[in-house]
Amino acid sequence: MTADSTTVPEHSAGMSDDVSAVSAGTAFWGDIPEKPTDGELVQLRNLLFRREIVLLERLRELQDDQRYTARKISEVLAEAIQLRAGKDPLVGLALEPVVDDVVRTLLRKRRGDFVDSLFPLMGPSIRKSIAETFRSMLGSFSKSMEMAFSWKGLRWRFEAMRSGRPFSEIVMLNTLVYRVEQIFFTHGETGIPLAHVASDEVYAQDAEMVSSMFTAIQDFVRSCFAGGGEGDLESLQLGEYTIIIEKKSQAYLACVVRGTPPVAFREQLHATLDFLLLEYADALAEFSGDTAPFAGAAPYLGDCLSSRYVDDDKKLPWWSKALPVLLILVLACGLGYCSYRENLHAQLRQALMEKQKAFTATMESALNVLRAEPGLLVTNVVSGHDAPWEATVLKDALADTPEAVLQVHGIDPKLFSFKSVPYISYDPEIVARRAKTDITLPDTVTMDFDGKGTLSFKGTASMGWIVKTRDEARSLPGVERVDISGLRDPMMDRISALIKEVEATVVEFVLGKDTPVPQDAPKLQKAVDSLVELEKIVQDMGFTVTLTVYGHADATGTEKRNYEISQARTRTVAAMLYARGSAMPIAMYGMGAVYPKDGQPAAPAQNSGQGDQASRRVELRVHVMRSAAADPESLLLSQP
Amino acid sequence: MISKKICMLGSFSVGKTALVARYVHSIFSDKYLSTVGVKISKKNVSSGGKDFSLILWDLEGKDLYADVNLSYLRGAMGFFTVADGTRKETLEAALELRKAAHDTVGQIPGYLLINKEDLSDAWEVTDAMLDNLTRQGIKYFRTSAKTGLAVEEAFTSLARDMLQNA
Ligand SMILES: Nc1nc2c(ncn2[C@@H]2O[C@H](COP(=O)(O)OP(=O)(O)OP(=O)(O)O)[C@@H](O)[C@H]2O)c(=O)[nH]1
Ligand SMILES: [Mg+2]
Repeated sequence: MTADSTTVPEHSAGMSDDVSAVSAGTAFWGDIPEKPTDGELVQLRNLLFRREIVLLERLRELQDDQRYTARKISEVLAEAIQLRAGKDPLVGLALEPVVDDVVRTLLRKRRGDFVDSLFPLMGPSIRKSIAETFRSMLGSFSKSMEMAFSWKGLRWRFEAMRSGRPFSEIVMLNTLVYRVEQIFFTHGETGIPLAHVASDEVYAQDAEMVSSMFTAIQDFVRSCFAGGGEGDLESLQLGEYTIIIEKKSQAYLACVVRGTPPVAFREQLHATLDFLLLEYADALAEFSGDTAPFAGAAPYLGDCLSSRYVDDDKKLPWWSKALPVLLILVLACGLGYCSYRENLHAQLRQALMEKQKAFTATMESALNVLRAEPGLLVTNVVSGHDAPWEATVLKDALADTPEAVLQVHGIDPKLFSFKSVPYISYDPEIVARRAKTDITLPDTVTMDFDGKGTLSFKGTASMGWIVKTRDEARSLPGVERVDISGLRDPMMDRISALIKEVEATVVEFVLGKDTPVPQDAPKLQKAVDSLVELEKIVQDMGFTVTLTVYGHADATGTEKRNYEISQARTRTVAAMLYARGSAMPIAMYGMGAVYPKDGQPAAPAQNSGQGDQASRRVELRVHVMRSAAADPESLLLSQP
Repeated sequence: MISKKICMLGSFSVGKTALVARYVHSIFSDKYLSTVGVKISKKNVSSGGKDFSLILWDLEGKDLYADVNLSYLRGAMGFFTVADGTRKETLEAALELRKAAHDTVGQIPGYLLINKEDLSDAWEVTDAMLDNLTRQGIKYFRTSAKTGLAVEEAFTSLARDMLQNA
């Protein structure tokens, strides 16, 4: 009991202290009566309220336990804040500085975590907005501006200056992958365009004429190449334009495209055409020239107008867009690298071009060497970036081979593969060569070709050779005239001398007889000798001598007798020649007394009874002709 | 917009190209540039209060009509066969062509143009031949691309016929 009583007061004392301490601040404890101090009352209280006192004691302990409080508050905290926040913004305001501080601290200490966790939320939207900004910026600056800072740009600007085309067009041509510029939806039979669209950048020609022309071309191709069947033209290449045709029997789509469109484009056309044919099936069936029902087709065509430039899909890495600074840095680096690469490329290309140019120059100069070579004619060259080039060369049999010609000029003949075709060259050099090979000259003759068609000979040779050679020379291709005036046959001199001698011979005859007067007999003998010699010489040359003998009488005696005697005198000469074995044809003319010597009219006989001796004579004329007698060339040898 | 395809048929050098040039551009040239394949021109006209365009297919002329590429005729709504009055064989060819055209594309309007009327002194085509045409019910015009005689009239009346036909 005592033990109990002793413990309780201690507790109660403690409790009372605390109670008084608290009571000062709170009404809750304020009107609690004083603890009894009288011993018996205390005893009674303990007896009666022991249980309550202990309970109270426990409650007080709980009240003092902060962890308990926290636990208790925690149970209602959320609801409490919710309640309060619904009433006024004070919770937020109260929390703000605290949260502010906390976040600040956390940001400072654990930045990485925040970026990591925030980025997935914000990144995409940042990226999008930056991309948007850049796109419009690029758009407004235009591609030209962008190009202005690159090597490529400079080069294009230069190209524009050189070609006189606008810079924008050069840029377009260089960056364009493809652009669908116009689309015609055209009626198959008539070629009349039912609908037509053109991209904004394009100046469109009269649609009806263009479209009709396409149809005409298809008709033409079909009738020419497909044997009238239904083989259809699918595309046409016209310089930098491709015309793509998607065709069904009732109508077709023709697209004018610059560059090379992707494969998918054809599929798109195919689908569009199918759709249009279905949509306008009735209108097409009834078509008679009125295109009004097809007005609605244009937008579908418009969907097919598309284009792509080389740079369109060059994507920059995402992070470079997340941070503008970085982006600019990357851009700068990128541009730097690009221009470096461009520069490198440009240099390489330059070097390549230079090499190509040098190569082409070599080839050209080689061809020029061949062109300058007599007897060779370069007719066709298939050139390329590499050797060998194929060259077709007409070659005279007397010309050097093209390979040899190149070799002589120090050019590698393997640069070409030659196809040579024989031909006859009229090049003076070759004609001269031809004359040299075809005509064998004796040591005594020189030959010269003047380059203008005249081949001339100088020196001495036999007449036979001269004639033969002249004929040969005339038949040489490229020789138009043969000049043999510088040629002399030494034998000719002898022939001329003999002829002259014979023709100068006049033999006088005894009155009334066919025998020469004694003093002229040796003259006649000599003339006969000369004729025999002449006959022998010309025979060797393929010629014949013909002799004409004129016999004359003087005026003495009858006319009849005079004819007889003059005839008999010519026979004397002939008989002498035949006696010498000559076979020459001899024409004998007895002229009577009609031609007295010196052209004197026939005079009466003189008193001497000797008549006119000078008129009793024979005269000789010689002709030399080619053995084939009818040849007028014989005149060549008759001497003046 | 209504468009009508018209073909010009006829032997070579009868003046098909010249007639089109006269009609479309009001010009004439003495130079003869033979047409290769087909040359297409267009003229906007209005008839009966309606605007429409004539698409003129000027085909190349050949010696024999059989050579003419009749596939160009597909879809034509009218045609002219042209003859040269100074060469009567071109009239025969034109009549053959006219038959072939009708066989190919059916009964569409088609007129005969006997051209080079300005050279009528040198004409081989006689009045008797022309009377014969009239008797056969073949409508023809004596035209001259040089002076322009009856050119406008011929095109206009073909256009009118085509519109009624449609
Ligand atoms: N005098 C005269 N000459 C004409 C006339 N029409 C055409 N010509 C001339 O005839 C020649 C041929 O005319 P084109 O119109 O070229 O003949 P085409 O029928 O088109 O000939 P192809 O194209 O070869 O089929 C040209 O020299 C024209 O100048 C005309 O009415 N009068
Ligand atoms: Mg023509």
